[in-house]
Amino acid sequence: MTVLAWRLGILVVGLGLWEAVAAPLNPIFYVGPSALPGALLQMWRVPELPNLSEHVWLTLREIAGAYLLAVAAGLWLGFLFGLRRTVGRVYEPLLAALYAVPSVIWYPSLMLFFGLGPASKIAFGFLLGFFPIVLSVLSGVRQVPATLVTVAQSMGARPWTVFRKVMLPSMASTMAGGLRAGLALSVVGVLVGEILGSRAGLGYVINYAYGLMMTREYAVLAVIVAAAVLALDAAGALVEARVKRWAG
Amino acid sequence: MPGGVATAAAEPIVLDAIGKRYETASGAVQAVDSVSLTVRAEEFVTLLGPSGCGKSTVLSMIAGLVRPDAGRVLVDGAPCTGPNPEKVALVFQDGGLFPWRTALDNVTFGLELRGVPAAKRREIARGLLEPMGLRGFERKYPRELSGGMRQRVAIARALALDTPILLMDEPFGALDEQTRLLMGEWLVGIRRRARKAVVFVTHSLLEAIALSDRIVVMTARPGRVKDVVDVALPFPRDLNAPEVTDLRAKLWEQVREESLKAMGSPP
Repeated sequence: MTVLAWRLGILVVGLGLWEAVAAPLNPIFYVGPSALPGALLQMWRVPELPNLSEHVWLTLREIAGAYLLAVAAGLWLGFLFGLRRTVGRVYEPLLAALYAVPSVIWYPSLMLFFGLGPASKIAFGFLLGFFPIVLSVLSGVRQVPATLVTVAQSMGARPWTVFRKVMLPSMASTMAGGLRAGLALSVVGVLVGEILGSRAGLGYVINYAYGLMMTREYAVLAVIVAAAVLALDAAGALVEARVKRWAG
Repeated sequence: MPGGVATAAAEPIVLDAIGKRYETASGAVQAVDSVSLTVRAEEFVTLLGPSGCGKSTVLSMIAGLVRPDAGRVLVDGAPCTGPNPEKVALVFQDGGLFPWRTALDNVTFGLELRGVPAAKRREIARGLLEPMGLRGFERKYPRELSGGMRQRVAIARALALDTPILLMDEPFGALDEQTRLLMGEWLVGIRRRARKAVVFVTHSLLEAIALSDRIVVMTARPGRVKDVVDVALPFPRDLNAPEVTDLRAKLWEQVREESLKAMGSPP
């Protein structure tokens, strides 16, 4: 309760400071929080401005696509490399090397492959979200205590049962952490992709507002994205905490 | 019981000159070398020896978790080809409880694998936990239990399988001396009710004397049978009795010799 009060207090103080700093400055470059609700209403009402809900909806679908692909590929390759020792030894250094390269350098080539539309954004969101997931699965597989596997085998568990009843629960917390980080990075990938070059989506609208010096509109969009990402991450944290409580 | 004659004929465990080598980075290590031993029905046999003498390896071979590369293991007259949960249950050194399962769900694990219905599983598990002083702890997770309690849950998990053979690998090794001796007394009681052949691994002389019908002293690596000592004292045993003191001195003489060898020759 006191924590919540403190957080609210910090939020109010932060907004107050923002307002105080922005008020005496040039409104073309600096906007205080009090200007935001009006700007949001205007964006909703003026038909000449981009239709916000359409763009948000598109971005959400791109994020969902990118994340689902990242989860599917991350789990599949993570388990493949983790459970098949030889395959893992061959490909893991490659994975680590790729992870070390700043992913943004791949984006131009993704645009060339997939075009300006949603596909290149999904591909970039996938690329960013994939690594924390696959790496968490790999380290999760390695963390499974050998004794617990032996315990199950001594009681007659077959490989699939060992996987389901011993490995998955043992690695659940590690995997939950990776899945959460992957979600955050998929969001980053999609938005960055949209900002770097697109004709639709939240990132496109941000770029549009910025390009036309619509600082108020830009600030509204930034706050919307920040709030959405925070909400998403809070939900992820809740799920992760639940899994951790369950998996001990 | 049908086939009673046949079961009476076959000893629960026969080890016939079994051996095991491990390949390590620094070359092959002979962990166990031609160990022969017969465990009779309802007999409590302890493997005693210095650390790293291959006691646990012998146990793993009886459990079918490790394949001997020499000799044969017969369980109930049949060659052992892998884990045999119908006949053999195992208690592990550090308990090996599943941290994400409650005490009750740990005990029901083996029954779950057998396909016993949930209600029946829980009934069996409660019936085991209650006389172990774990009533009211069924829903606790292993991290919420003391070391002694965890070990009792691990034993209950093995007993739930209701096998004629129970293997215990230093089950009280991580406990303090007092708890260890109390757990020993408690195990003597359990054993009298559940009629099983037990193979128990320990490096504690007193624990071996308190529990065993026979004590097998093993040599330092490679693990061989150095001596087999019958302990013909009635249960419950008074650990301060002069016979116990004599036996302890005799065992210590042998274990000391092997421990010195083990210390002198780095692994």
